[in-house]
Amino acid sequence: MNFKGTLPTLILQALAEEPSHGYRIAQRIKARSKGVLDFKEGTLYPALHKLENEGLVASYEGVEQGRTRRYYRITKSGKAVLTKDRSEWRELSRAVTLILEEA
Amino acid sequence: MTARFETPLDSWIGRATCDLSLDSAAQVRAEIVEHFESALETAIVAGTNAADAERAAVAALGDARAANCQYRKVLLTSAEAKMLREGNWEARAVCARPWLKTLMQAVPAIPLAVTFVMLSRGEAAAARLPFLASLALFMFLAAPFLPVYTPWRGRVYRAAKWAALIAVFVLAFGADSLKYFWLIASCLWIPIWTEATRMSIRRKLPVAQWPKQLYL
Repeated sequence: MNFKGTLPTLILQALAEEPSHGYRIAQRIKARSKGVLDFKEGTLYPALHKLENEGLVASYEGVEQGRTRRYYRITKSGKAVLTKDRSEWRELSRAVTLILEEA
Repeated sequence: MTARFETPLDSWIGRATCDLSLDSAAQVRAEIVEHFESALETAIVAGTNAADAERAAVAALGDARAANCQYRKVLLTSAEAKMLREGNWEARAVCARPWLKTLMQAVPAIPLAVTFVMLSRGEAAAARLPFLASLALFMFLAAPFLPVYTPWRGRVYRAAKWAALIAVFVLAFGADSLKYFWLIASCLWIPIWTEATRMSIRRKLPVAQWPKQLYL
């Protein structure tokens, strides 16, 4: 399913649960949507860099099973943006559901 | 002679990093290889054979050109990295020749002095041109020496610079400014292009990494 435009919000949500590396973020989004939201993983990193440039996530190097990996964590302003995105999404979703149920 | 084989992953990375700066390309390579290895490992643990796992991991990355398009919006391109390296020519020139600093600061003062001389002679209309030249020269030559080293001061300086440039042309051409718009546009395309590239770099680099010229 195409969910263009919502990927940054989904990344912020995944990182709000716990700091993570790119591959795990992708897997978490796919698993949490039960495979409905299937996106091209090559687009995940540009989205992460954009969030990092905007100061919504921060990156650091961590070691997992002896391998150095780049981890990302959500920042304070990232949390604020996520809260705003969440309420906007609920409002939009409610409005669309109302219209579709009327049809 | 040794044959050089390019793996599907190398080919994907090559296309995804097209036109990116060397540092950006290295960063993309590192993160994609890391991602690819994790995907491969997970698939092999799940019982997929190595060749199929590799194919699936590359396919999961999606279209390399689409990724390249997005990477270019968030990471430095080779042209931007070049501008960043070479864009501080004033600072490098001044460091190499200290007398140049005095000269760069003095040059705008010359047409300003001419302006005052003309004004003292009552040639107010003619004094307009040396005044405009002084203003334009000041905006460009004195900029590296101004205390512009915070994003806010940078915004103020850039607004003043563009207001001064437009004012120079409006005052120089008067009522014919619109008629000579083609001339103004052709004179300003290099500063406009430089400004657009700097804007793009500012979006991509954290403020802590901005060199002096990015504030201007």
